[in-house]
Amino acid sequence: MHSVVNTKTRIQQWAARLLIGMLAVLTAVPLYLAFVNAFKSTADITKSPLSIPIPPTFDNITKVLNSPNVHLGTMYFNSICIAFFGTAICLAVSALAGYYLSRVKNKISKSLYVYFLFGLMVPYVIVYVPLVTMFKGSGFLGTLPGLILVFVSGSISFSVFMFEGYVRTIPVELEEAAILDGAGQFEIFAKVVLPLIKPCTTTVAIFIGLSMWNDFLTPLLIGQKVTITVGIYTAIGPYASDWGSVFAYVLFATVPIVVIYLLAQEQFISGLTVGAVKG
Amino acid sequence: MKKKSILFVVPAILIYTVLLIMPIIGAFFLSLTDWNGISQQFHFVGLKNYASMLTDTRLFGAIGNTVKITLCVGIAVNVGGLAVAFLLNKRGKLTNVVRSVFFLPYVLSTVAISFVWMSILSYTGILNTVLEWVGLSGLVSDFIGNAKNSIRSICVVEIWRTIGFYMVIYLAYLQTVPEELYEACMIDGGNSRQQFRYITLPMIVPGITICTIMSIMTEMRQYDIVKVITNGGPGYSTETITYNIVTQAFGNNMLGYSSAIAVFLFVFIAGISVLQLKASNKIGG
Repeated sequence: MHSVVNTKTRIQQWAARLLIGMLAVLTAVPLYLAFVNAFKSTADITKSPLSIPIPPTFDNITKVLNSPNVHLGTMYFNSICIAFFGTAICLAVSALAGYYLSRVKNKISKSLYVYFLFGLMVPYVIVYVPLVTMFKGSGFLGTLPGLILVFVSGSISFSVFMFEGYVRTIPVELEEAAILDGAGQFEIFAKVVLPLIKPCTTTVAIFIGLSMWNDFLTPLLIGQKVTITVGIYTAIGPYASDWGSVFAYVLFATVPIVVIYLLAQEQFISGLTVGAVKG
Repeated sequence: MKKKSILFVVPAILIYTVLLIMPIIGAFFLSLTDWNGISQQFHFVGLKNYASMLTDTRLFGAIGNTVKITLCVGIAVNVGGLAVAFLLNKRGKLTNVVRSVFFLPYVLSTVAISFVWMSILSYTGILNTVLEWVGLSGLVSDFIGNAKNSIRSICVVEIWRTIGFYMVIYLAYLQTVPEELYEACMIDGGNSRQQFRYITLPMIVPGITICTIMSIMTEMRQYDIVKVITNGGPGYSTETITYNIVTQAFGNNMLGYSSAIAVFLFVFIAGISVLQLKASNKIGG
């Protein structure tokens, strides 16, 4: 009797593993296709899309690199600037604000907290037309710093929400001790609080950094800056047919993120979930 | 404790107010005008834009598609994500590898992966080629150019893209369920179905709430996949609300009208969030 139960659960376990394995392979297939087909000619892609390219051709890659209308350097520069400075500025202003809202409890700080949370409900598409209209004459939105600040404004709600919640879990005693040592309040923030909220900072950085790097509509409509995401869209257009180049573009847009992801998987996965589970 | 300087919040308030809150107020204002974005003049038309929405069949289609996508993707990623997480929860050597594979699509650019899916789903694409090979040519179909198929294709891509994210969140919640509860249930003779129904489910209600809210919020704003794969077509058959707003504003120069639709979407989403917050407070308290 006992062995029958054992065999039954074993079979169930193997069935579950098999199912999971099949789903994982299915999930990976599109990514596999994107990768291998970037190294095949378009004719080979239509003929044998699933095969491994031996020998690989680098024609698609060089074609994209040499295309007169595509400036990969500019695209990367814009995307990296937006993701890096946007994330840095947003982290700085939101950590300060979240810290204040978490430590100071009065009517003003409570209303400010609600004011910041309000942004979480906003479908961002509502902002584009008024934003373009408001800054039409100023030229501000056409500049990279302008676009970066627009990105920051869109991520502040989420970041303040995360930092406020995280600071609440940190005991105030350390800060009080630092006050007795005569430290100023910004010194306390920089030397005592910042090291303690590092896990939250990592989480927020990954989340908003990714969303800024991958965003499509904002750089397209605001400032007309060609980021890597906008770049591949305009280069390929809505009616693609030269699949070899398409896959090469996809490779250029995704490889930086894939590399970072493979190097820091744990931070990505735990980082993206820690907030959700705690909240 | 010493009083903290309000300077801590000032930079965040400034950026947030000027670049997010003021434009939102601007959208409410614009939605009451007939401005086309080009002429110097515009007129206040009161609620005329909102009245026009009531007879805009193209908009109805967009709302219908958004609801369809939200329901389909929302149910699939929550049920599927939880199921996969439940199966993965029994830790094996490969669990982390598998988890990373499921999660990878979520971190990639939606525009980029949409192009990959386009190469798979288009009529001369990879899926049809493979179907021919394996002798299933009866299933060969136009997955993008045909209105009925294309909305399904969009759902498939979105499910593929996001399911790993929800799976990972569910996995994190499942790991907060104490092992002892399962053991106690087993001693009382509970089978695995009963374990799931009476232990797992009640313990992860907060996770279900959060994932449901997040999936609804994400899908109500769906744009990128539609833009790349179908461009709203064929006809207007796969337009979403966000797609409709962007084309009315930046394609047709109907800034006043598009703002009215955006305000409508905003009120709708805000309404859902408030309802859900109330509901989850009730469950939590």
